[in-house]
Amino acid sequence: MERLIRRLRAIVGDDGCLARDEELFVYQCDGLTLEGTRPLAVVLPEQTSQVQAIVRACLEAGVPFVPRGAGTGLSGGAHPVPGSVLIECSRMDRILEINVADRVAVVQPGLVNADLSEAVRGYGLFYAPDPSSQQACTIGGNVAENSGGPHTLKYGTTTNHVLAVELVLPNGEVARLGSRVGSAEGFDLVGAIVGSEGTLGIVTEATLRLSPVPEAAETMLAIFPDVVSACRAVGEVIGSGLVPAALEIVDQRTIRAVEESVYAAGLPRDAGAILIAELDGARCELPREVERVRQAAERSGASRVQVAADEQERSLFWRARKGAFGAMGRLAPDLYVHDAVVPRAKLPEVLEAVCAIGDRHGLKLSNVFHAGDGNLHPNISFDRRDPDELARVMQAGREILETCVSAGGVITGEHGVGIEKRDYMKLVFGDDDLLPMIHLRAAFDPDRVCNPGKVIPTTRFCVESNPKARGYDQVPL
Amino acid sequence: MSGSDIRAVLERELGSESIGEAAGLQAEFAVQPGDGAALASTLRIMGEARARAQVRGRGTHDELGNGPIEVDVELSTRALSGIEDLDTQDGVVRVRAGTSLAELGEAAARHGWEVPLGAPDSASVGGTLASAAIGPRRLGQGPPRDCVLGLDVVLTTGEQTRCGGRVVKNVTGFDLAKLYTGSFGALGVIEAAWLRLRPLPERVEVRVASLAAASNPMGTAIDAARRPTVRCAALLDPSIAERIGISAAGDALLLVEFAGSELGVRDDESWLGGRCAVDRVDADVVDALARAQGRTLPEGGVRARIGLLPSACGRAARALRASGAELIVHAGVGLVYAEWLAAGESVSAVERLVAQTHGEARFERLPLDLKRGRDVFGVGADTRTRVDLMRSLKQRFDPAGVLNPGRFLGRL
Repeated sequence: MERLIRRLRAIVGDDGCLARDEELFVYQCDGLTLEGTRPLAVVLPEQTSQVQAIVRACLEAGVPFVPRGAGTGLSGGAHPVPGSVLIECSRMDRILEINVADRVAVVQPGLVNADLSEAVRGYGLFYAPDPSSQQACTIGGNVAENSGGPHTLKYGTTTNHVLAVELVLPNGEVARLGSRVGSAEGFDLVGAIVGSEGTLGIVTEATLRLSPVPEAAETMLAIFPDVVSACRAVGEVIGSGLVPAALEIVDQRTIRAVEESVYAAGLPRDAGAILIAELDGARCELPREVERVRQAAERSGASRVQVAADEQERSLFWRARKGAFGAMGRLAPDLYVHDAVVPRAKLPEVLEAVCAIGDRHGLKLSNVFHAGDGNLHPNISFDRRDPDELARVMQAGREILETCVSAGGVITGEHGVGIEKRDYMKLVFGDDDLLPMIHLRAAFDPDRVCNPGKVIPTTRFCVESNPKARGYDQVPL
Repeated sequence: MSGSDIRAVLERELGSESIGEAAGLQAEFAVQPGDGAALASTLRIMGEARARAQVRGRGTHDELGNGPIEVDVELSTRALSGIEDLDTQDGVVRVRAGTSLAELGEAAARHGWEVPLGAPDSASVGGTLASAAIGPRRLGQGPPRDCVLGLDVVLTTGEQTRCGGRVVKNVTGFDLAKLYTGSFGALGVIEAAWLRLRPLPERVEVRVASLAAASNPMGTAIDAARRPTVRCAALLDPSIAERIGISAAGDALLLVEFAGSELGVRDDESWLGGRCAVDRVDADVVDALARAQGRTLPEGGVRARIGLLPSACGRAARALRASGAELIVHAGVGLVYAEWLAAGESVSAVERLVAQTHGEARFERLPLDLKRGRDVFGVGADTRTRVDLMRSLKQRFDPAGVLNPGRFLGRL
């Protein structure tokens, strides 16, 4: 392997290749910190040709490779596999083109999500997908995970905003797929690549659709006696045909944690839940839409509904939502952020069931979630040094996912499958359903050298990790 | 296995009531499975026999695709019909592939929802998704991929598979629904779909404006397309305007459909009225435009759909008109429909334009003699890598080459 590392250093320079144990320590996991493996080396390319050369070097050495953005993913999609080279794209962080007239931007994968919106704001444009980690996460990671965020209710997820990609295929070839004009002929390969968790190649450039900053926006805060009534309000808003930009719920346990933290937003600590609703669009339409949301909230039991008077108050409302994960640090040393989706009409009953699961296992479970999408984030605060508590956390997690699937939902809405939920895929899909996913993977990466062991469940993980393994196709799932 | 042998096996397996005359042009007979299990049996039999099938919904896109192609069987999805679950609170629907858009649209509208698919009402849901068909409301509706939440797809190896689901946000596994949508049935046959509906707009209004060439009609069209409630903004050449029942005095006619809240529509109407003189027309003009965009041309006629950046539409329109084309330009989404009554310079004009603007085009109608030796998809684009990957996918999903052989990009 020393020969491979020498070759990698020749490609990216000494400061672009990390191979000492202490350097590798921070790369052993992404945002899923419960497990981890140190890679053989970490490389930090700055251009596509370097990524291509790295992939070719790995192929010749028979070593798997794993792409990585900022490492903010929560499902282990960027976890190294044993003996792999981690290709970290953070130095490929340039905006290559902004076409204001056609509302298109071309960027490298290491660009931080929020930096793109910042760069185009002066033109009256923004990049719509806004994951909670948008100050740190990168476009390449967003493409891999098909990231969402609070405003996907109206604007869609990453897949709705990617027009074309350049990627280094697992065989080392560079491919340009999709079209900046948005109507590429042939199979929708870009659609298949977005959300494939870095298993079909390494994206080295993305052509993105920019959206116009809406003429006006209103942010509302409604206070409810409990989380179930807040969910009913969401159902009523959606059922009435209104499409807000965001509908977010924060439950009581989270409110208390936030109010005791630096993110305190002045919320009543005895509130059972808060609903943050954001409406945007033409200025003339908003007053009536605000009134419709207010009425839906009040009919569902809201004790107070407030509209942000100015930008400062709007930021304060959002602080309760965006500071929630940081505030959780006050409850316990570790936080398990779950991610599942249910039909929106099922939110009240599923929320009750999720809370009951937490109580039954004696866990500190709180909820902060994208209610408008039916996208739950049950958060379990715990201490990993307590093996019994850790076991209960894992068991509760499984039961939560089973509950969501039974309600017609799925096991992830925006965090991805990675390694975290790979073995839960069978809660949703049977063997026949997984076959086309295996076909897709094999069409791009027949030897499974690119981010092996992710997404598709298998009990043959060790075999799959080995790029020289053959005959896996014949192994029953 | 010969065509008559395959027919006999299918008759034995599915019953003679599932076998009939082919409605399309290519096959000797049609098979019409009535449920997913029958569809799986049909495909397994065809896969084992290496029979070639034309998958057909309601035939609205029969003329589209490479040719000539040879098939043994017409596989019709018409009997896979019906709405299975319309969730009126969540705004999602599960519908079988053979259901017409008209039936689905009426059912959704009864509960205050609409289906954001732009193909003609007579088209089937499965055919619309398989061909990613769009209509004049593409601006407001988005592409078909945006409303597909989940699909049931049967493979030629006989597996009945599901992808996606009924929820509106989902990253559970690879996004196969995107791969199947617009794949022209080359990978598997869509049996049913979960679709996301949209709230019916409170108000719909259609306006036309006659614009002089000197007044920058393309700029007006792009600006109109960027108003919040505008879901169709099409520049029509006078001859096309007349065909859909609108008389035009200027060099071009801008047809605009507004859909949204009362206040929003009124706001955008007054914006357009402040920019140019406008007239009210019946709302069904946009449906007439949908039919005009897909009309059957006289023998020898050519129609191209060209995708390009909005900023290139003006240049494209000038170049295409110079070759004798009549145009429908959806500048807001960068789509130009160009028609020639005779082939003439049409093919070279499109190829030249696409090369100059880095766009992509397809010939939606092309005389058979011009189809020979030419790919009607991806005109002007370097599709080599794309086709290599598509071929790799085709070999895995449909190893016997049963589904729509030779029809799509790369003649897969």
